[in-house]
Amino acid sequence: MLIIPAIDLLNGRCVRLTKGDYASEKIYAENPTQQALAFAQQGAAMIHIVDLDGAKAGKPCNQAVILAIRKSLEIPMQVGGGIRTLSAAQFYLENGIERIIIGTKALEDLDFLNRLIAQFSAKRIVVGMDLREGKVATQGWLKTSDQGYREFLQDLKKVGVSELVVTDIEKDGMLTEPNYALMEEISKLGFNVVASGGVSSLPALQKLKALNVFGAIIGKALYEEKITLKNALRITAKNTLTKRIIPCLDVKNGRTVKGINFENLRDAGDPVALGKYYAEEGADELVFLDITASKEKRKTVKELVSRVAQEIFIPFTVGGGIETTEDIRELLQAGADKISINTIAVKNPKLITEGAKAFGSQCMVVAIDVKKIGDTYKVFIKGGSEETTWEAIAWAKEVEKLGAGEILLTSMDRDGTKAGYDIELLQQITAAVNIPVIASGGAGSQEDLLAGLREGNADAVLAASIFHFKKYTIREVKQFLSSHNLPIRI
Amino acid sequence: MKIAIIDYDAGNLRSVANALDLLQIEYFIAKQANDLEAADKIILPGVGAAGSAMQKLISSGFAEAIKQTKKPLLGICLGLQLFADFSEEENTDCLGIIPEKVKLFPPFLKTPQMGWNQVNFTNKSPLFEEIPDASYFYFVHSYYLPTSKYTLAQTDYGITFSSVVQKDNFYATQFHPEKSGELGLKLLSNFCKLC
Repeated sequence: MLIIPAIDLLNGRCVRLTKGDYASEKIYAENPTQQALAFAQQGAAMIHIVDLDGAKAGKPCNQAVILAIRKSLEIPMQVGGGIRTLSAAQFYLENGIERIIIGTKALEDLDFLNRLIAQFSAKRIVVGMDLREGKVATQGWLKTSDQGYREFLQDLKKVGVSELVVTDIEKDGMLTEPNYALMEEISKLGFNVVASGGVSSLPALQKLKALNVFGAIIGKALYEEKITLKNALRITAKNTLTKRIIPCLDVKNGRTVKGINFENLRDAGDPVALGKYYAEEGADELVFLDITASKEKRKTVKELVSRVAQEIFIPFTVGGGIETTEDIRELLQAGADKISINTIAVKNPKLITEGAKAFGSQCMVVAIDVKKIGDTYKVFIKGGSEETTWEAIAWAKEVEKLGAGEILLTSMDRDGTKAGYDIELLQQITAAVNIPVIASGGAGSQEDLLAGLREGNADAVLAASIFHFKKYTIREVKQFLSSHNLPIRI
Repeated sequence: MKIAIIDYDAGNLRSVANALDLLQIEYFIAKQANDLEAADKIILPGVGAAGSAMQKLISSGFAEAIKQTKKPLLGICLGLQLFADFSEEENTDCLGIIPEKVKLFPPFLKTPQMGWNQVNFTNKSPLFEEIPDASYFYFVHSYYLPTSKYTLAQTDYGITFSSVVQKDNFYATQFHPEKSGELGLKLLSNFCKLC
């Protein structure tokens, strides 16, 4: 669904009215170009501009300001307000405005629409239908006509109109709820409906999206910070990226630890054989965590990585004992896709930046072990044996800034308890950073994985024992998560 | 038939080579531009940043050799982005094979996009032989190539971008076929079978 942030212009400034009442003007920005650029920078794909002076006067009044915005902005704009003559319409359409909105004039003169559509195409001519108690309002909402909207829509269909902005004046600027039934009804008639008025919460946007409404204009809710544009764009965007299920294999001296018995697997102690088995079962990635303590460690890890890369053709991460960029280089060249660092990241944070620069952020995973001390989530290192001065959210933000491409977040309080992931911790970290977060520590059931992904907003879940001890197969887990409407690769 | 894998210090060479080993396809690592003369087909892998990659391709002479070649060439991940005229990543002038601009994902999306996403075919291609439409492939990237008339498949990550492109003998995938399990290997094998 298209999210279109609104800029309403009165005397060249960005304002909002309540219920279309000009006396209720509230100024939000002196410089509308800056406001438009800020929306575009956040990722808006189109800006909605209303010339309020123009709507009232019956002719455009803020063209200079609008064209100044057009010059600075890369994304499409739709403009409405006082466009009641062919020359006013042509002025905008020939000066780079993608779509113009015809309100009052559409009601008075269908032939006017007909001519514009013939000249500029239906996609660029939007009819702004403003409703007050089921009747179409005109002239900056100062008047209400006698015409009912159903009859009016039939006329619009006849002249080839496909694009509508539908505003329920009773809802506009009220920060309440949009008129869902109305938006749905008109969408079903085959129009691309952009809902306007009262769109003020994320659930409202989700509901409109579910009703297959084409787009929504958000104004006051943004300016009043009821919702952020970032969240509005994120929840309404079409995004088919799946959540990842990642089994973790602990490896010591080249062998997997934690006892397992797989009937159709001859040697579950061989990390490559086990990894291959998981990959065939549908694992989205693998993590190999080396816990060897001996001097031979580096050699055995490298050998393991080479073998994995030769036999398994899904991405895998290697962690354990990496201390220098040279270590990272060796493992990546041997075929690892990502490396994971933990203690060394705290001791020598520069390594994150150096690794990201040399090999790309995408291969730098920072593992963060967290324990709740009093009311604070604290970061621990050295396998959880040493408390650091870092608070978890601050450290997560720091590693993102330093160049980490992903965070592997383990709750030490939950690890091994099978009580489920620490959802509160996950929520705080996923909200704080803009890189993927893998949840780890505490998964004992499929429901725990579901909660980590859905409530915790994790991008991936890491689990060891529930797979190793065959409580569930990966296939079963993925079916389960998919049946709960999570995007899963099956 | 021999495939040249271009080595310009931009990562995941090993994985591509491993995949070709498994597929029993003969290949060699091209270290300099004239190595490409011995190849029937060329793979341009890539992980890392556009700026340093282009610098290396230019200084090694690969950039010019790639632009001139009439042999089938497959770009992977960064290899696809380097096909463009320009990349916002380090404001880099790229190979100019596809007249488009590579852009950074907007801030409302997590970057990098990391994981398996659907690849929706928009055109027929021998690359897609025996691969169902809307199959999943593995992506890792922060920048994207917009869709254009050269798009063979597209993917939705908040933004709809080109996940497979082709212009003449130049093919590329934004995802990593060498890391996308069975179907990824199938796509690589389809490329190697192109005449």
